[in-house]
Amino acid sequence: MTDDRTTLAMLSEQLADAVATAGAALVAVHARPRLPSTGVHWKDGVVVTTEGTIRREDDIAVTLPDGRRIPATLAGRDRGTDLAVLRIASGSLPVATLGDPATLRPGHLVLALARLDEGGPRAAFGAVSATGGKWRCWKGGEIDSWLQSDLDIYPGFGGGPLVDATGRIHGVNSGGLSRTLATTIPVATVNRVMTQLLERGYVARGWIGAAMQPVRLDPATQQRVKREAGLLLLSVEPDAPASRAELLVGDTVVAIDGKDVDGFDQLLDVLGGDVVGKKLKLEVVRAGQPVSVDVVIGERPRRGR
Amino acid sequence: MAMSTTFLSGPAARLRASVVGIANGRRGRGAAGGAGIAWSGDLFVTSAHVVTGPHATIVTPDGCAVRGDVIRRDAERDIAMVRAPGASVPAVVTSDPSGLRSGSLIFAVGHPFGVRDAVSVGVLQAVSPLPRGYGLNGKGSLVWVQADVRLAPGNSGGPLADAQGRVIGVAAMVVSGVALAVPAPEVERLLSGLT
Repeated sequence: MTDDRTTLAMLSEQLADAVATAGAALVAVHARPRLPSTGVHWKDGVVVTTEGTIRREDDIAVTLPDGRRIPATLAGRDRGTDLAVLRIASGSLPVATLGDPATLRPGHLVLALARLDEGGPRAAFGAVSATGGKWRCWKGGEIDSWLQSDLDIYPGFGGGPLVDATGRIHGVNSGGLSRTLATTIPVATVNRVMTQLLERGYVARGWIGAAMQPVRLDPATQQRVKREAGLLLLSVEPDAPASRAELLVGDTVVAIDGKDVDGFDQLLDVLGGDVVGKKLKLEVVRAGQPVSVDVVIGERPRRGR
Repeated sequence: MAMSTTFLSGPAARLRASVVGIANGRRGRGAAGGAGIAWSGDLFVTSAHVVTGPHATIVTPDGCAVRGDVIRRDAERDIAMVRAPGASVPAVVTSDPSGLRSGSLIFAVGHPFGVRDAVSVGVLQAVSPLPRGYGLNGKGSLVWVQADVRLAPGNSGGPLADAQGRVIGVAAMVVSGVALAVPAPEVERLLSGLT
């Protein structure tokens, strides 16, 4: 009995320590009506939160752990990965201690943290449910690893960190990426997107300027080009990388940059990387014959700008 | 939110021995509408919304139905006291939740959807008024124990306890998914004058 009490009390203390440690780097972000969201002081003067909780781009403020409310400016937002970055005058606010999400396995105890007001950090408790490799979320962005937990993301917990039992931060929790389980945007994705948002305010994604449809090649062509499927060009926009490279409606793209392409996933993987301005070689089937076309990848136009 | 029972089994077993079922009226049996806590002597604490009339029936952990009288009822704070001289149930130990930090382990015992003496585990979020934006018809300014723990109908009136099984609050409701309980010192204050 005494052992039970001691072990449990120690676990309880350790969890509360983890909340206090990680909670010291959290702010409440006031960028929407009614309820604030949570932000992580990721590096000096830079706060990361979820894009979906930013409802206004001006008049943003954050509440610091000491209760002071200070102004913040939006450095950039990326709907695709549900991340937004703010700049603040951080003063003596501690910076987040980051962990390595690759060390988390299903069953590890974790916490979701939030800061909603002048009070202390708030916590939810659970376990890692599933981990895995990179994936593309429904908002279109590429997330570097799959990290889900059975944590309840309460109102205001969006943008808050996933924290392990020692207080290290493994990513930012988003309430908007999955209905069933809490989804964490891992450290690697936050670092990658934050860097781009700080540099230019948005994440540049590659663009070809053509509408495509996955198709199976006819048997004769399959034999000739040693591939089974590709992306058929349905239309080509004027003054776009595809038209400048003289791609034609009816061409079927079967490889990009040496990688086979038979669906949108591979194409989006290529275009999601650091490719804007680079010349990539496309293997195309045109009128049944293989053709090589060089395309200088453009930057995807952004909505509403 | 589940965890190894070897950890929690000790404190949970001790607390379960002090949690009763509470049904409305003199003849309520079996169908307990909520939970109650053996607070001291023959006094039981529950939620005001569990006992609406002057009488209540206590169902002890060993299954005995005992008649009780509702001797105090505070609808604002959602706390009621029931005196049941015939019930022999060991009293709980209480503790002030303001001594706990966010993230501290807590657990609840109650009868969610009629499941007797069910244990659920979670962590403390805060002991404070509710955050702005969590609506509660003006009651948000009262001090609540706020916890990340699963409560359901049937938990009302039952205990929230710390890792050592000391009762820190009386489960009252769920707002925006967050479990709310009346802090134990508040219950003591309402009890003052009764022994």
